[in-house]
Amino acid sequence: MEKANKLLSIKNLKVTYKDSFDYTALKDFCLDVYEKDSIGIVGESGSGKTTVAMSLMRLIDNQAITNGEIEYQGDSIMKYNDAKLSEYRGIQVGFCPQNSLEALNPLMTIQEQITEGIKRHFDHDSVTIKEKVESLFEKVGLSNDFMKAYPHQLSGGMRQKVLIAIAISLNPKILLVDEPTSSLDIDSRIEIVNLIRLLKEENEIALIVISHDMEVIAQLCDRCALLYQGELVECGITKEIFSYPEHPYTRGLISASLEVNPYQDLWGIPGEIGLHDVPGCSFYSRCTQRTTKCKFEKPRLLSISSGRLVACNRGGIVKVLKAKELNKTYNIGKKKIKACVNANIELRAGEIVSIVGPSGSGKTTLVSMLCGILEKDKGEIEVFDEILNTLNMHRSFHGMQMVFQDPYSSINGDFTIEKAVSEPLIINKLCSKDESYVYVKKALLDVGLSDEDCFLKTRTGSLSGGQRQRVAIARAMIMKPKILIADEISSMLDPSTKANILRLMKELQNRNGFSMIYVTHDLQLARKISNRVYDVNKGRVREKTICFL
Amino acid sequence: MSVLKYSKSNSMVINNIKSLFRKVNHRLNKLSVLGKLSLFWLIALLGIAILGEHLIPHSHKIPEFQTLLEPNKVNLLGTDDLGIDLLSQILYGARISMGVGLSVAFISVLIGSLAGGLAGYYQGRVDGAIMRVADAMLVIPRLPLTIVIAAFMGPSIYNIILVLSLFSWASVARIVRSLVLALMHEGYIIMAKTYGGGFCYIFRNHIISKIAPVLAINFMKVMGSAITAEAGLAFIGLSDPTTRSWGVILNHAMAFKGIYFTEFWKWWIVSPVVFMTLTMVSIAFLGRELEGKNSYGKSK
Repeated sequence: MEKANKLLSIKNLKVTYKDSFDYTALKDFCLDVYEKDSIGIVGESGSGKTTVAMSLMRLIDNQAITNGEIEYQGDSIMKYNDAKLSEYRGIQVGFCPQNSLEALNPLMTIQEQITEGIKRHFDHDSVTIKEKVESLFEKVGLSNDFMKAYPHQLSGGMRQKVLIAIAISLNPKILLVDEPTSSLDIDSRIEIVNLIRLLKEENEIALIVISHDMEVIAQLCDRCALLYQGELVECGITKEIFSYPEHPYTRGLISASLEVNPYQDLWGIPGEIGLHDVPGCSFYSRCTQRTTKCKFEKPRLLSISSGRLVACNRGGIVKVLKAKELNKTYNIGKKKIKACVNANIELRAGEIVSIVGPSGSGKTTLVSMLCGILEKDKGEIEVFDEILNTLNMHRSFHGMQMVFQDPYSSINGDFTIEKAVSEPLIINKLCSKDESYVYVKKALLDVGLSDEDCFLKTRTGSLSGGQRQRVAIARAMIMKPKILIADEISSMLDPSTKANILRLMKELQNRNGFSMIYVTHDLQLARKISNRVYDVNKGRVREKTICFL
Repeated sequence: MSVLKYSKSNSMVINNIKSLFRKVNHRLNKLSVLGKLSLFWLIALLGIAILGEHLIPHSHKIPEFQTLLEPNKVNLLGTDDLGIDLLSQILYGARISMGVGLSVAFISVLIGSLAGGLAGYYQGRVDGAIMRVADAMLVIPRLPLTIVIAAFMGPSIYNIILVLSLFSWASVARIVRSLVLALMHEGYIIMAKTYGGGFCYIFRNHIISKIAPVLAINFMKVMGSAITAEAGLAFIGLSDPTTRSWGVILNHAMAFKGIYFTEFWKWWIVSPVVFMTLTMVSIAFLGRELEGKNSYGKSK
């Protein structure tokens, strides 16, 4: 395949709005657009997506100071004079602004608005122009009856089509579309997406789509770039990014998107957007795997694999746990039972991985080895790239914790709630009695239990199953784990309690950002809660895609 | 400030006492009439054993009366062949019997639960070693060896306690071991172990509370058998002859030639036997009641 020509190249673009705050909307933004390319620019509201579009079209010269370089076919567009700029704006790059009534002139008919550009750039007679408009109408699927209509007489979907028609009226080499589907109903959305795709294929143009709608990006773009607070955080091939996000922000966006993530509950990215212009990583305030380094050092956009760039001080989402070639054989009499054969497991930060399989398939054996309770015959377990005995990780903060299936067994019924929850602190002498009291109260509140003194003094034996399971979770949470291993924690509970406990776990996970291994035989449940699934059968472990469960 | 503190602590003490009282009352209500009577008898004996000299009407070793008196208003149970008051002797003997029973029960339960706990907790070789010793203790014919050892070590109350404890801990250890083995599979113990809790922590916090009811029953059992065993040893003359335990009184009475041809046995032999029987029956009843409460849930 011949190397595609570079059409557009954005280098270190920095845009600061000229208002009283000097708000920097875009920082060090770099992007290359090739011929027949399709790039999506994704981000939350206020992440600087539209600023990219505006500065590409040089529409914000009056409002903002633009630094950096935008080159179109080798020439800097910053140096274009008005005539050149006018040609650039229509013939080279077609811009389809965000759909609203404001995008179109309310006093002009649709036909007038479409012909405006054509008249300006070409010396066609009126018949040619009419034909041209008709062919454009046909292309975007609008009936010719609407030619004389005013914008307010059209529906949202139709207006979007008109905007697209205007953008492609001069046969540009690049089509720049800003939020093509926002505020459209699902039918119009599908129509618009199909239309844009068709136009791109027919006219062989390059496409830049700016959207917060992950599905649109997934359908239209081969590559995508993710913006957060004006900074590029991740960039790569769309498919790869969606199936294996490397930046916590990307994963957050995906899990907040109903279309891309149809099986699971929706969870927004926790936390508030932090202060602007912080010295460190701008995602620091919401990141679940932050370190002190992230607070003070700006991450650089680095390549982690071919075509994949990630701006993260930790090199993308960290691999918390990696188990390699785990083996376990039980000797029962003279018979050897292979409970685990060459199992490989990987767990990334902030991820829920389910281990599913029928009973007797070796799930518990596998998990017990991961916890370090059970000696493994062969293989090694890496935690944060360090080979270690995971048993010791249960004994300190920020380590690994377990929650068992049976809350009646995992919590001693003779203990008071305070004693049960503070047990790991007391055994390991991690803090004084007063401190542990405070920790216990916080942990109980976290899991949705009362923190009153008389409740702390209640014996766990008098609690219900759901409450006891919450106490067990509080005991794990008090150690602020990075990895939580949950062995069928909901299978002994009634449906309502089960739902509550699972929501609680997911909420804690979303808020505290630990990684979780969830063992279950319930496939629906696994599909509902997990990012990835490992299927265990007769001791063999395979990774499965969620939708094939 | 200090007044406030004082009054606060004072009211707390009162509250504690009140709650303790309520708890005791609650427990008592669960006992049957027989159980209450047994408890009363045992507590009375214990009181006599502790207070001893202050309660005994006459001396238990100095002859103060005529020999071989029938029960009368002064000597409620009559006197023996030396003219010593029998009631005083029996009440004083309660101290020995209860002392021996309690100490043997305490020592055996302590050693037995520790040994059983260790065996059940560590399993494997530790288990093997401890349980083989315990098995040996259970298998060796008890009475002959007790007699031999007691005879060898000389007649002394301490030796008797030692010898009886030596043979009593093994059965406790066995029961405790089986309980601990089952407990080791409980989630909370696995968790405590994962958190780094050692044998001491787990035994103290998790195991004891779970085996306590069984220990209580075993305590009663061992106590009962220890009291009988002591009486038996004393009867065959292996106890300290200077102390007047119930067995020694019986021994003396039986040594009186031709006692069954006289009227004397009616009070001299019957009264210590009645005391002993009552005590044993009380212990058995109380033990049964505890057992019923804990394992069969028959309590009211």
